[in-house]
Amino acid sequence: MSSPATLQVCRECGGGAPVDVHFCPQCSKILTLGRHGDYFAFLGLPRKLGIDAEDLEQRFRGLSRQFHPDYFYNATPAERRASLERSSYLNDAYRTLKQPMTRIEYLLQVEGLAPTSPQEASRQVPPALLEEVFALNEELDEIRDLRAGGAPPEIWKSRLERARGPIETKRVAHEAKLQELSARWDALVDSGASVGDRRAANEALEALRDRFLERNYITNLLAGIERELSQ
Amino acid sequence: MSRVVGIDLGTTNSLVAYVKDGVPHVIRDRSGDGLVPSIVSVAEKGTIHVGREAQRRLLTDAERTVYSVKRFMGKGAEEVRGEARHLPFRISGDAGPGGVVRIGLGDREFTPPEISALILRELKHRAEAFFAAEGDIDPDVDRAVITVPAYFNDAQRTATRDAGRIAGLEVLRIINEPTAASLAYGLDKRHTGLIAVYDLGGGTFDISILRVEDGVFQVLSTNGDTHLGGDDIDVLLMDRVLQDVGADLGRPGTGAEQAPPLRTPEAVQEIRKAVIQTKWDLSELDEAEIRVGQYRKRITRSEFESMIRPLVDRTLAPCRQALADAGLAAAQVDEVVLVGGSTRIPLVRRAVAELFGRTPHSELNPDEVVALGAAVQADILISGSREMLLLDVTPLSLGIETMGGVMSKIIMRNSTIPATGSEMFTSGVDNQTAVDIHVLQGERELVGDNRSLARFKLRGIPPMPAGMPRVQVQFQIDANGILSVSARELRTEVEQTIEVKPSYGLTDEEVERMLLDSFEHAEADFEARLLIEARNEAETVIQATEKSLRAPAFSEIDKAELAPGEREKIESVLSGLKLVLNATDRETIQKWTTALNDATRHLAEVMMNRSVSAALSGKNVNEV
Repeated sequence: MSSPATLQVCRECGGGAPVDVHFCPQCSKILTLGRHGDYFAFLGLPRKLGIDAEDLEQRFRGLSRQFHPDYFYNATPAERRASLERSSYLNDAYRTLKQPMTRIEYLLQVEGLAPTSPQEASRQVPPALLEEVFALNEELDEIRDLRAGGAPPEIWKSRLERARGPIETKRVAHEAKLQELSARWDALVDSGASVGDRRAANEALEALRDRFLERNYITNLLAGIERELSQ
Repeated sequence: MSRVVGIDLGTTNSLVAYVKDGVPHVIRDRSGDGLVPSIVSVAEKGTIHVGREAQRRLLTDAERTVYSVKRFMGKGAEEVRGEARHLPFRISGDAGPGGVVRIGLGDREFTPPEISALILRELKHRAEAFFAAEGDIDPDVDRAVITVPAYFNDAQRTATRDAGRIAGLEVLRIINEPTAASLAYGLDKRHTGLIAVYDLGGGTFDISILRVEDGVFQVLSTNGDTHLGGDDIDVLLMDRVLQDVGADLGRPGTGAEQAPPLRTPEAVQEIRKAVIQTKWDLSELDEAEIRVGQYRKRITRSEFESMIRPLVDRTLAPCRQALADAGLAAAQVDEVVLVGGSTRIPLVRRAVAELFGRTPHSELNPDEVVALGAAVQADILISGSREMLLLDVTPLSLGIETMGGVMSKIIMRNSTIPATGSEMFTSGVDNQTAVDIHVLQGERELVGDNRSLARFKLRGIPPMPAGMPRVQVQFQIDANGILSVSARELRTEVEQTIEVKPSYGLTDEEVERMLLDSFEHAEADFEARLLIEARNEAETVIQATEKSLRAPAFSEIDKAELAPGEREKIESVLSGLKLVLNATDRETIQKWTTALNDATRHLAEVMMNRSVSAALSGKNVNEV
């Protein structure tokens, strides 16, 4: 017998059901989205960062076929509501887990390591990037001066392109590193250490978080250069 | 069991379709015509005409006739000011931001959803007549799936749903036109893979990229322009004609002075009709002629193409954006499907072929495929069949206004719907119990560049020190792409009240009132309605005939152009029709109406030709 915390209650028949099932085991009605697992559990996936794209698509399509409001048009209002809630949650889960970067962000969040708000995270310059950011800002100031002084676009645009080079290289390196760290996390999950050995788990997650925040900072820098280029 | 249908509520034409034994069919009138022109005309006595008859009245009573109303759905009065340039009907609106557009026809005013409701009602009747003729015991049609352009925003979708309700239809679902087309297309093809649907209609352009697998039609991305279509091509050609005859296209003067004849709305509509014919001809021929009255202008296809090139090019950027959003290169798309009448234009086909590097499919009728798909979707909803499933996306990002007039996005564009998003709010001062929230839709950074959807006031926040309340506002986009909002204070678990004031649109009470106002509601007897329609039609023909006979130029025409005995024949059929007008036998009335139509056909041609050539040469019609 599982503890009550792992149960959700069917509003149709009052029966109990494990949190990760979508239909009541007793009356087989769709369950309202009360207590539920995280995106990984909802899709029936382990909490790992390596996700096979085609497998995810199949799970998404399969669950869509079970929940979608189209199939509950003639059902009771409670079932229609449950179908809308489960479909919305499924779509949000699918969208989040589809991209490797949003997947990492979500994992950090459910493991309790996410910054309180994304704005907070992007405001301060990660220490590892101080040098690059300083150099880039100087370069951008000079380019803006050039532009204000009426320099032809070819001149300042090529300088912008050059300035982008090292940042772009950093981004590629960071994403490669994130992949490596993701594999490390997945190995911990496979060995049971992600739950059994919290110290090892936290170490892996903190490394992921730091690289992830740096990588976000880098993409913001690149977006800033893009904006300058389109002026 | 009453019937369900799928409706394509188009800018230019509308259609209704249904599914029989798993196969969708367009419902046609007795002459085999499936298209109902999306035109509504209010005759002097208040009789409302929809479709072909309203289209005819564009040439005789333009100021009381409205077309392309879809362009005004969900729009604010101040947004459509520039739109009035070439339209014969009056557009006004409630002053101030958020004012609803009003269309004046004669002494009555209508909102765009009411006009659309009249078109929907016509389609409903067409379907009911069809089912009744099939021997159906319960031919009532009270539920429908209605299509909208994929790029329609929340306000435009809501306006469409309101139109359905005003017409007495339960709107089962609002679905996107390109997606509907893909359903109809995928039905007999049983294909899997990546499909691009390019939909260029009368007033709107959409591009959708879909993945079709295991019977699931999953939209990956969509983009478009709700203000680009065949109408814009017509205006280009109309401007060309008017340039030739030395005047610009515009509404008649609003002051006391008489409008110059060229600018009479009827003359403008005569020109519009002619250039549309020329546009069609140029899809088949290398050269065609614009003919309005005595005016003739030859135009080659290559001239035409260089005129419309900028419009066609405007469809390409949305295509590239949709591909980028789907993470695909053009070459990865397996098939391209063309939808919408404007995709008959060879230049459009070439541009699409070039962009995607493959010949697009055009074997399905581009005018009908959307309605067929809507019927399929209606059938899925009602029958409970799980063979196919449509997963669509929201075309525009949803967000709220934050500090500094910046939009903060909560649900990103191209998210599969239904979708949710939430945002935390708190108070700025002690014991604050309400927060204002401004909901927006669009992709731009600044609030002012995006579309305002609604302003909410969150009330009932428990009094607490500033910054203490944690109010979670939940945004839900349903499977129709329509937004709803709920809110909860997390510390106290208090559910908040939300007052919704849609930025542009009708309140529930207004929709309710319009529904009660509609004459349709009280009218149960279908045969009685047909009889009224037959009488209206007869009256229209009688009036037009009498007007012609009274015209100053008539005696001259009678002498010079009518055959001996032609006038007498007209007069005798006219008095015959007047005699049977109040009969209760619909068929007799129709028989005599047809007879009078036939008798006056030649006269009408002569008169129309004279009035148009007079208009184009700058003379007042009455001087002829």
